[in-house]
Amino acid sequence: MPSHPLRVAVVCSSNQNRSMEAHNILSKRGFEVRSFGTGSHVKLPGPAPDKPNVYDFKTTYEQMYNDLVRKDKELYTQNGILHMLDRNKRIKSKPERFQSCKDNFDLVITCEERVYDQVLEDLNSREQETMQPVHVINVDIQDNHEEATLGAFLICELCQCIQHTDDMENEIDELLQEFEDKSSRAFLHTVCFY
Amino acid sequence: MRPEHVRNSICFQVVDLLNQAALIPTDAKLAVLKQVQELIINKDPSLLDNFLDEMIAFQTDKSIEVRKFVIGFIEEACKRDNELLLRLIANLNMLLKDDSVNVVKKAILTLTQMYKVTLQVTKAVSDMQEACWEMVTQMKGDVLALLDSENDGVRTHAIKFTESLIVTLSPRVVDSDVPKRQESDITLDKVPKDHTYIRYDVLCEEGKSALDKLLKFMVHPAISSINLTTALGSLATIARQRPMFMSKVVQAYETLHANLPPTLAKSQVSSVRKNLKLHLVAVLKHPSSLEFQGQISTLLLDLGMPQSEITRSTPPPREHRKRPRHEQYTEGKKVKLEQTLMEDDEDKEEPAPLSAPKPAPVPVAQSAIDLTADFLRPLLNADNVANLVLISMVYLPDTMPASFQATYTPVESAGTDAQIKHLARLMATQMTAAGIGPGRENEASKEGANEDDMGSSDSLIKRKVMVGQAISVVGGYSEKEKAPNLAAVKRLPEPILPSAQTNRLAGLTGRKKVFRLADVIQPLSETQIERLTSKTIKRILHSEKTITQSGMSHVRVKLLSKLVTQFEGIMKEDVLHFILEDIRSRSELAFSLLYQEYNTYLSQLPSGLLDSYDQCLYTLLSGLQEKPEQKDGLFTKLVLEAPIITESALEVIRRYCEDESRVYLGMTTLKELIVKRPSRQFQYLHVLLDLSSHEKEKVRSTALAFLKRMYEKDHLRDYIEKFALNYMQLLVHPNPPSLLFGADKDTEVASPWTEETVRQCLFLYLSLLPLNHKLVHELASVYTEAIADIKRSVLRAIELPIRGMGMNSPELLLLVENCPKGAETLVTRCLHILTDKVPPSPELVERVRDLYHKRVPDVLYYVDIAGNFSIVRQIKGFENLIKSILREGSSSVSPLTPGDLLIALHNIDSIKCDMKSIIKATNLCFGEKNVYTSEVLAVVMQQLMEQSPLPILLMRTVIQSLTMYPRLCGFVMNILARLIVKQVWKYPKVWEGFVKCCQRTKPQSYSVLLQLPHTQLASVFERCPEMREPLLHHVRSFTPHQQAHIPASVMAVLEASKKAEAKPAEPVKKDAPHAERAPLLAAAEQAQAQARQQETRTVATHLVEEREVAAVEEEEEAEEEEQQQEEEQEQPMEQEQADLVRCEETVKVPLEVRSANVATKGMAAFSTNS
Repeated sequence: MPSHPLRVAVVCSSNQNRSMEAHNILSKRGFEVRSFGTGSHVKLPGPAPDKPNVYDFKTTYEQMYNDLVRKDKELYTQNGILHMLDRNKRIKSKPERFQSCKDNFDLVITCEERVYDQVLEDLNSREQETMQPVHVINVDIQDNHEEATLGAFLICELCQCIQHTDDMENEIDELLQEFEDKSSRAFLHTVCFY
Repeated sequence: MRPEHVRNSICFQVVDLLNQAALIPTDAKLAVLKQVQELIINKDPSLLDNFLDEMIAFQTDKSIEVRKFVIGFIEEACKRDNELLLRLIANLNMLLKDDSVNVVKKAILTLTQMYKVTLQVTKAVSDMQEACWEMVTQMKGDVLALLDSENDGVRTHAIKFTESLIVTLSPRVVDSDVPKRQESDITLDKVPKDHTYIRYDVLCEEGKSALDKLLKFMVHPAISSINLTTALGSLATIARQRPMFMSKVVQAYETLHANLPPTLAKSQVSSVRKNLKLHLVAVLKHPSSLEFQGQISTLLLDLGMPQSEITRSTPPPREHRKRPRHEQYTEGKKVKLEQTLMEDDEDKEEPAPLSAPKPAPVPVAQSAIDLTADFLRPLLNADNVANLVLISMVYLPDTMPASFQATYTPVESAGTDAQIKHLARLMATQMTAAGIGPGRENEASKEGANEDDMGSSDSLIKRKVMVGQAISVVGGYSEKEKAPNLAAVKRLPEPILPSAQTNRLAGLTGRKKVFRLADVIQPLSETQIERLTSKTIKRILHSEKTITQSGMSHVRVKLLSKLVTQFEGIMKEDVLHFILEDIRSRSELAFSLLYQEYNTYLSQLPSGLLDSYDQCLYTLLSGLQEKPEQKDGLFTKLVLEAPIITESALEVIRRYCEDESRVYLGMTTLKELIVKRPSRQFQYLHVLLDLSSHEKEKVRSTALAFLKRMYEKDHLRDYIEKFALNYMQLLVHPNPPSLLFGADKDTEVASPWTEETVRQCLFLYLSLLPLNHKLVHELASVYTEAIADIKRSVLRAIELPIRGMGMNSPELLLLVENCPKGAETLVTRCLHILTDKVPPSPELVERVRDLYHKRVPDVLYYVDIAGNFSIVRQIKGFENLIKSILREGSSSVSPLTPGDLLIALHNIDSIKCDMKSIIKATNLCFGEKNVYTSEVLAVVMQQLMEQSPLPILLMRTVIQSLTMYPRLCGFVMNILARLIVKQVWKYPKVWEGFVKCCQRTKPQSYSVLLQLPHTQLASVFERCPEMREPLLHHVRSFTPHQQAHIPASVMAVLEASKKAEAKPAEPVKKDAPHAERAPLLAAAEQAQAQARQQETRTVATHLVEEREVAAVEEEEEAEEEEQQQEEEQEQPMEQEQADLVRCEETVKVPLEVRSANVATKGMAAFSTNS
C-alpha cells in the first residue's frame, strides 16, 4: 500500500452530478479527491431537452442555484437539480474544467466514454515533463441521480481496492478485470504521462 | 540582518531540521526534509554543497517514501547545479537497484531527466566526467533491460525512458515537433561530433537500437494492455518529434492493428483501439505524415470511426469525425487540411456528418503493403474470395476472440470497388507482416541498396512480427477474410461501444484471456518431435568447433550429456556415433555421457535399470574395439574409469583381449580391473582365466603370463588354483565337455578328446605347476582316471613344466615316492624328462629304488631309468629287475612282452650305461630259453635291424640267437643281406659282428659275402684271410654263366693272391645239400634272363630284390599286424612314452596270441629261405 494517499480525480461532463456524487463519497472516505468536467460549458437540464441551462466554468454553484431558483424553483426542486447544486456548493464553490487543471493525479476516473476520450486527448496533447504516469479509467454512468449514486459507490469501491494494492501499477489490470466481472461493466483503462 | 547572518541562521535551521529528521516518524520526516530541500536548493543554494551528504544519507532510510524523496532531491539538486551529478550519479544508480519497485520507478523517471543532463554537462572533459558518463550509459542499459521486468509498472516506466532516450539520441529536424519545455534539451544534433568519449555515431546507433527494442517489445504476444498503451503513446511521440522514424511507427501500428495480442480482454481491446485511434490521429496531424496518410486513414477506417458516428447517439470524439472528411481531400490539399483540422478542434459540438467510408487515397510512396495490395486487388474475384473464406473456416477458433468481437465492423458495401480495395489492403498488411508477397520481395531487394542499418532493423522487426502473428492467428484469426462472408448476412451496423455490449456478452467473450501456453500451441506429432530433437542434437553436436573456439565446450558437453540421457530415442545413437567418429578428441563427451547415464541410474535406485548405461558403455567400447590401431590407451581409460563394468562390456573387453594385435593392452586393462576393483575382481579374473585356454596361442600365452603374476597374490591364488584344477578335472570325463568349445562350435556331445582339447584343459594348470609344486599330485590323480588318449596327450604336454620344477622338487620326489596306481607312466615320463639332460640326483635314484622295492613296477620305467642311471649303484637292482620281469613275463599280467624288453635293452644309450651291464642284462634274457623262443628272437632281430642307427649289440644278439637256435640260420642270412643294403660297414662294431657272423655261418654266408662291394669284401678278407680261399673256391664252382655275373672287381679281390687257381666246378654240389640253395638258384636262373639287358646290376642285389618280393607276397596274409608293427616302429622318439601307454593297453591282449602273430610273421619270412 503506497504510503501517500492516492490522488484521485473524478471527471464527468459538467462537474455537476456524477463527478460530484463520487467526489462527495470519496472525500467522506478520506480520499484526496478532486472533480472536474470536460465540456466546454456547464450544462444543466432546462424546462425542455433542447433548452438546457448553460453556464461557463466560472459560475459558482451558488450562482447557478440562485439562478435556477429564480427561473423555476418548483421544477428544479422536483427534478432534484437544486438539491444537487446545494450539495455541490457545500463541497466546493464552483465547477472546474479538467483541461484547465495542471495538477498531477495518480488516478483519473471518467464517467462516460466521451469524457474519457476528451481526458485522453487532453492529457496526450500536454507536453510531457515528469513522465509521471496517470491511470485513466472510464466507468460508464448514466446521467441521473440514481445511477450517479450507484456509480459513485462503485467508484469508491474501486478506489479503495486500488488504494490497498501493494503495487498499483502491477495489479491494476487484474483488479479491473475482477471488477468487470463483479459489476458486469466494461472499464476502459489506459495510462498517460505528465 | 546582513547576508552572512541570514546565511548562518539558515544554516542553523538546516542543521536543526536534519537533527529532527533523524528521529521522527516518516510522515513528519518527509515534511522536515522537504523544508530542508527548499532551504538549501531554493533559498540558499550555496548551502547545497554543505548539506549534500547529510541529505543523501537518507537514501538508506527504511521508508520507501523517504527514499523516493531522496531521488527527487537528487533530481532537484542536479538541476540546480549540474556539476553535482558527478557526485550523485552513483547514488542514483544504487537507488535504481532498490528493492522497492516504487523507488525503482522513481529512479527511472529521474534518470530520464538525468540522462540528458549528463549528456550536457559532460561536454567538458575530465576523468570524473568520463566515469560519470560511463555509469550513466550503463544505467541506461540497465533500464532498457527492465523492459523485460516482471513488474508491469516498471516496464511502463522503462518504456517511457526508452521513448525519451530515442528522442534524445536522434537529431532534431525541421519537421520535428518540439515541446516548448524541451526546447533547450539536448538532442543528438547538439552533441559535438569530435568529443573524446561521447561518440556521435555510437549514440545514433544506440538510439536506433533502442527504437528497435521498443518495437520488438510491442509485438510481444503477451504484452499487457497498459504496456501496449504506453508503447503506442511513446511511438506517437517519437513519430512526431522524430519524423524520420514515422514509417517504422506507422508500420508498427498497422501490424498491431492486424494482430492485437490474443491475451487482451474485451474491454482492454477497446481501450487499446481507442488509444490507437488517438495516436494515429496525433501522428496524422504531423506535417511529415503526408506519405503515410493512406495507411493511417485505412487504419482509422478499420477502427470504426464512421460506424460509431452512424450508430451512436452520443457524439463521437471530435477527431474521429474528421477523418472521413479529410479523406475526401486530394493529396494536394494536405497542408490546407491540416489547418482545417486545427480549427475544427475547437468546435467539437458540431454534429457528425454521416458519411459512408470512402476509398483510401493512393499513397504517395508505395510501401511494401501498397505493392502487395495492388497485386492482390485484381485477384479478389468472387471465386477466389469464396475459396479463401472456405479455407479460412477451418482455422476459426472455437470461441470468438475478444479482439475480433471488438473490432468487427459490418461491411458497408460488400463487392464494391472500394471494399475490394480495402480488403486487398488488409490482406497485404498481413502478408507483408508475414514476409511474403510481391511488395515484400520488392522491399527486400531494395533493402540491399538502402541504408544498411535501416534495412537490417526493418527485417528484424518483421521477423518479430511473424512470431507474434503466428500466435495471434491461432488465438483468433484475423477478421479480414471473414469480413466478406459475414457481410453478406449482416448488414446492420453494430455499435462497437463496449459498454453497450457489456451486459450481453459478459462472461462469454468479455473475459480477459489469461495467457496459457496450451491455448496457443498444438502438440507436435511423434515423428515431428523426433525429427526436431534429432536435428537439435545434431546442431549442438556439429557446433563443436565453434564452441571450442569460444572456450565453452564444457557447457556443450554437459548439455549434450544431460539432454541425451534424459530422453530416450535415436539421438543417443547419434551422439554415440558422433563420438566414435573421432573418439580421441571427443572422449570428454564420451565420459560425460557415461557418467550422466550412471547418475541417472543411481538416481533411480533401487528400481533403476542399468540398460541405458550398459548400452552406452557397450557401444563405446565396441566402437573402440572395432576401430583399428589406437595407441592412446583410450580403451583402457574408458574401462578403468567407467563406474561399472557391465556384463556386455566385459564381453567387449574379452573380445578386445582376443585380438592378437592388442592382446597385451587388453589384458593389462583386465589386470588393472582385477587389481583395482576388488568387489568384482573374480568376475574379471574369470575372463582372464577363460582366455588362458584360448585357441590362439598368443592370447593364451599372454593370459597365462598375466595369471602367473597374479597367482603370486594371495587373495587371488585360491581362485586361480581352483579354476585350473577344475579345468583339469574335466579330463576325467570320457568326452570333452561342451564348455571347452566356443559357443559357435556346435559340437556333438560324443566328439572324442583331441590333442587340442586335452591341452586346453591343461594350459593353466601346467603354467601354475612350476609355481606351486604341490599341484603335481592333482595331475597324478586325474591322470590315473583319464583314458589312454588323454594320458598320451598329458605326457606330451608336461615336459616343460616338469623340467621347470627340477628334480630337487620335494613334491615331485614325493610323487615319485607315492606314485599312485596307474600313474606309473606319468612318473616315468617325469623321470625321463628330468634326467634327459642331467644326471639324476641321488635323492631321485633313492626314490626310484624305493618305489621299485615297494611295488612290482612297470619294467619299462625301470629300463628307462636304467638308460640314464649310473650302473654302480643300481646294477644289482637292475639284474633283479630283469629277473622279476622275466618271471612276471611268463604270466599274462606283465605289461611288457619279452621282445620289447630285449629291444629296449638294445636301445640303452651306451654312453650312460656301460656296455658290460647291458650285455649282462641281455645274457639274462637269453638265459630264459622258454621265454625267448626262436620266434621271439626273430621278431626282435627283425625290429632291431630296421632301426636306424643300428644298435651296437645287434650282431651280438644275432650271433647269440644263432647259437641258441641254429635253424634260424636262413633267417639270419636274410638279415645279413638286408644289413648290406643298410651299408652295415659304416657301423664299426656292427661290421665287426657282421664279419664274425659270416665267418660262423659259412658256407651259407658266401652268397651274402658276394653281395658286398669289392672294397668291403677286401676288408672282410683282411680280418679273416682264411675266408678268401673257400669263397673263391665257391665262386669257381659256379657255372660259367653264373660266374659271368660276378663283377670283375670282386673277382679281382677274390683272386688277389692266387690268380693261377682254376675255376672250381664242384661248389654246386657243395651247395646242394643246403635246402635254401634250390630256390636261390632258381631265382638266379630267373634273373639270368633279365640280366641280359641289365648287365650293370649285380646278381646279388638282384637276388635280394627277388627274395624281398617273394617275402612280401608271403606276408600279405599277416598284413594287418605288419602295419601295426610298422607304425609302432616308425613312431618318433619323443612319442615313445605314448607308445608305452599303448603297450600298457595291449596288456589285455593275451601275450601268447601276440607272440604267435609275431612269430608267424617271422617264420613266414624265415620259411621263404628254407
